[in-house]
Amino acid sequence: MIVGGGISGLFTAYFLANRVDPEKILLVERSYIGSGSTLRCATGIRASFTTEEHIVLMKRSIEYWLELSRELGFYLRRGGYVWLLQEEHLDAFKEYSQLHNRFGVPTRIVDREFVAELVPSINQDMFAAALHDPLAMQADPFEVIHTLTRFLKSTGVKIQEFTEVTKLVLDHERKNVEAVVTNKGEIPAENIVVAAGTGTKNLLKSVGVDAPLEPLPKHILITMRYRRLFDPLLIDWASNSYIVQSRYGGFIVGAELAENTSGEAINRIDYMPHAVRIWSKFFKWFPKVYILRYWTGYYVMTPDHHPVYGPVEGVDGVYIAAGFSGHGFMLGPVTGYVTSRWVIDGDPGIAQAKNLMLARFTMGRLIREKAVIG
Amino acid sequence: MGGEMKKIRMCREHPAIVCRCEDITLEDIEKAIEAGCNNVQCVKTMLRLSMGPCQGRTCIPLIVRILARRLGKNPEELHVPSSRPPLVPLQAELFCR
Ligand SMILES: Cc1cc2nc3c(=O)[nH]c(=O)nc-3n(C[C@H](O)[C@H](O)[C@H](O)COP(=O)(O)OP(=O)(O)OC[C@H]3O[C@@H](n4cnc5c(N)ncnc54)[C@H](O)[C@@H]3O)c2cc1C
Repeated sequence: MIVGGGISGLFTAYFLANRVDPEKILLVERSYIGSGSTLRCATGIRASFTTEEHIVLMKRSIEYWLELSRELGFYLRRGGYVWLLQEEHLDAFKEYSQLHNRFGVPTRIVDREFVAELVPSINQDMFAAALHDPLAMQADPFEVIHTLTRFLKSTGVKIQEFTEVTKLVLDHERKNVEAVVTNKGEIPAENIVVAAGTGTKNLLKSVGVDAPLEPLPKHILITMRYRRLFDPLLIDWASNSYIVQSRYGGFIVGAELAENTSGEAINRIDYMPHAVRIWSKFFKWFPKVYILRYWTGYYVMTPDHHPVYGPVEGVDGVYIAAGFSGHGFMLGPVTGYVTSRWVIDGDPGIAQAKNLMLARFTMGRLIREKAVIG
Repeated sequence: MGGEMKKIRMCREHPAIVCRCEDITLEDIEKAIEAGCNNVQCVKTMLRLSMGPCQGRTCIPLIVRILARRLGKNPEELHVPSSRPPLVPLQAELFCR
């Protein structure tokens, strides 16, 4: 059983269905599919991270994205990422780039002219240089989740929406999980993958497991559609803000606002002015675009900004896939792969994933990611 | 146009438009229902209904009626999407005065 119908749950079902009888797989979702963070995300996929774990997993995820987009027929566009940097960021990003290159991600530091070729209308006075990640891509979360859902149903996987799991149930020895309680009754289950985004922490608590997962409110807007002005996703590292032109032409803009974890994600009056000010400095046309929609969502954060993967010590049959700290969409395929391998083979199949188990927090083995955007 | 939409819009026999901004017809909606959509969020995310400049002011009341009738459900059961600011498209510079 998989709890949570976001990108993580759906890809876990996908990889499980490749190996076991799909009819034995049940995915339950408390609302409609994608209603958590997945349909709110900024569609970005990249491997330009700052730790071996993230770079290796993301690179594999990108390979799966390419393969699955061909196999299942969904949109994927390789526009790359451009990290716009100030003088004082350069030394750190040179190091990051070396790390990327070591693991086969061909990023490099580029000058302003290079950026101006990719993004002709950009104001070159606003940055000193940039890091270019040519592997990075964008997908369309709406299409991905509908394509996956339709495919999974066609294989026989059962998907039950509007079913909320209220707790996990252990056997009488309190060692193995044996069922879940939902608002629609109890459902027996031998193995349970908890991929429930913001709901994960409470579900784990119901079996006495404490996981450091904290929801952090995030803000994002989209403009009306315009003809394509540039391909890459741009990051202004100084303000921790990004802009990308969506598949349909709207500019998606995310920008960091100071927020507390466990605060509620509600619209803030200061978000739109903040986002507009940043990108109006980079583009003289930006003040003229029409803003269509502003929404919020959560990054589920962990203390070291890496996900929590794999089985839980002391509670057999429970597996976690949560705490993506803002990177769960891009990780979707690899999350599905390692989680399915853990459930079926007892091993994630990618060595670096083992460093991301829950036990790392109690053992003090944190792996810090420094490149969290938005 | 998305793969999902392409498949659904392959052939259109009658042009009763439900969502003008995203060019979605009654027939597209019927096909989405056949594909398993049973609430407004599903139609929205599958067809992009209500995601254009009018932000659903015209098509949301229509889709609620269509789904309620076709599925025999109450409007409350249909998961109508939230309205989001700025409600009507506004020029970015208005926020920076
Ligand atoms: C503004 C914004 C921009 C983002 N941009 C990007 C980006 O560009 N790239 C990227 O990779 N990531 C991005 N992210 C992060 C990304 O959206 C998430 O990491 C990812 O969607 C997590 O997917 P998930 O399946 O793990 O969780 P979710 O999508 O949250 O899915 C979990 C599901 O579980 C369900 N659930 C919860 N509790 C229960 C329960 N008790 N019973 C049953 N079901 C339950 C929820 O309803 C939900 O549908 C962004 C996030 C936000 C908010």
